[in-house]
Amino acid sequence: MVSNMAGREFILKTPLGVEDILALRVGDRVFLSGELYVARDATHRRMLSEVAQGKELPFPVHGAVLYYAGPTPPPPHEPVGSIGPTTSRRMDPYLAFFLERGLRATIGKGERGEEVKQLLEKYKAVYFIACGGAGAYLSTFVVSQEVLAYEDLGAQALFRLLVKDFPLMVAYDAFGGDLFEEGKIRYRRILLYHRENSDKGE
Amino acid sequence: MKEIWVCDVVEEVKNALLEINVRSDTALRQKMLDALVAEESEAGREMLTQILENYVVAEERRLPLCQDTGMVMAEVRVGSEVCIRGGSLRQALDEAIRLAYREGYFRKSIIADPFFGKNTQDNTPGVYFFEWVEGDHLEIDLLVKGGGCDNITTLGMLEPGSTPDDVERFILRELDRKAALACPPLVVGVGIGGNGAYALFLASRALSRPLGSSHPDPRYRELEKKWCEDINRLGIGPQGVGGRVTCLEVRIETYPCHIASFPVGLVCSCHVFRRKTLRW
Repeated sequence: MVSNMAGREFILKTPLGVEDILALRVGDRVFLSGELYVARDATHRRMLSEVAQGKELPFPVHGAVLYYAGPTPPPPHEPVGSIGPTTSRRMDPYLAFFLERGLRATIGKGERGEEVKQLLEKYKAVYFIACGGAGAYLSTFVVSQEVLAYEDLGAQALFRLLVKDFPLMVAYDAFGGDLFEEGKIRYRRILLYHRENSDKGE
Repeated sequence: MKEIWVCDVVEEVKNALLEINVRSDTALRQKMLDALVAEESEAGREMLTQILENYVVAEERRLPLCQDTGMVMAEVRVGSEVCIRGGSLRQALDEAIRLAYREGYFRKSIIADPFFGKNTQDNTPGVYFFEWVEGDHLEIDLLVKGGGCDNITTLGMLEPGSTPDDVERFILRELDRKAALACPPLVVGVGIGGNGAYALFLASRALSRPLGSSHPDPRYRELEKKWCEDINRLGIGPQGVGGRVTCLEVRIETYPCHIASFPVGLVCSCHVFRRKTLRW
């Protein structure tokens, strides 16, 4: 499927509804305001193990947006440190758990597994990317940051961010669209010969 | 003998780490401006624009360019006429990292043991390579790289007698699958020869060269240029969103190799290319 990749612009607020999600296509730019919940690998593992022990999730997941990131400590003169996205693929195994409970979007960087696209279609959710390695720039869209849980995990604690017009791009939409794949098809100018069976995959 | 005191090494390495994590150098800014001009993809240009904005914000607000302030790598060359006084260089490098990462409010990302360790809370230790050379100088190449781009590091044990085309094919195939995960546009280091371990070291060392430098041998210079152009034909683009600019530079380092093997190391840096060479 090759979509328009028109790069339309949307201004959205959290919590996100299904109708917000269904309007989005890959390549669209979104300026998101409201709350983001920041979590990395260790944060996810902690949340899942606590739920397994019968505890409640430490954030309201319905309509929520998870941001895969681990910020630097805020210097005394700033409300937040540098806070860009981390590689999303590492969080793939935990995604279904949150989508089942009403999560509407995740933010990170880089491609994810094929199963993620199927999950996003099934649960009507999207995967946004933010610009990786632009953590200082992205911090200027963060109004405030607080530790919500697991302070002992340091940069991997669960943070709540209040953001204003946080700049995002739709990488996977709820219809199977994939910005990385479409972009590559569109701009590729070289033929790659994959030698027989020498490509063992990831 | 030239005496070098470790306290001076600590001070200068600390200052260098504070600088490279926050300030992009002129050559990198220029590279990224050139990339913006060359990039045809709208989404790619958007990413490059944010990368350029990031340089300005980071410097103005004294924030790290990237929240992943990495694991510090240092390649140290100690001249035979140099006498290190007041402690060991390893301790000095650790101390410099400890001080810089505290003072700069950088992220502490190192755990003391892969299986059983806790965060060391000060981003130590770094990864150090020591080499003893002739002369009366001490040189330290500092390289700061995040986890994202380190995760695409690859070793290929190719067939002996491989040609430059074979190596290029290997690199293109690997990067086609992995580059988008490593925050492109990338600086690509390729180490060819030695043994498996050394090929990866060479690839890593290639990243220590300043931007704009090329291989002294014109044959390798040509290959660096060609491979860079071909990587940019893959269509991956800035941040993987599709586009013309996937790679800023390719650097090749070589070493003699065994008749029965052909090791190729591939080590990349993300677009937040943080390096500095210090010399005493």
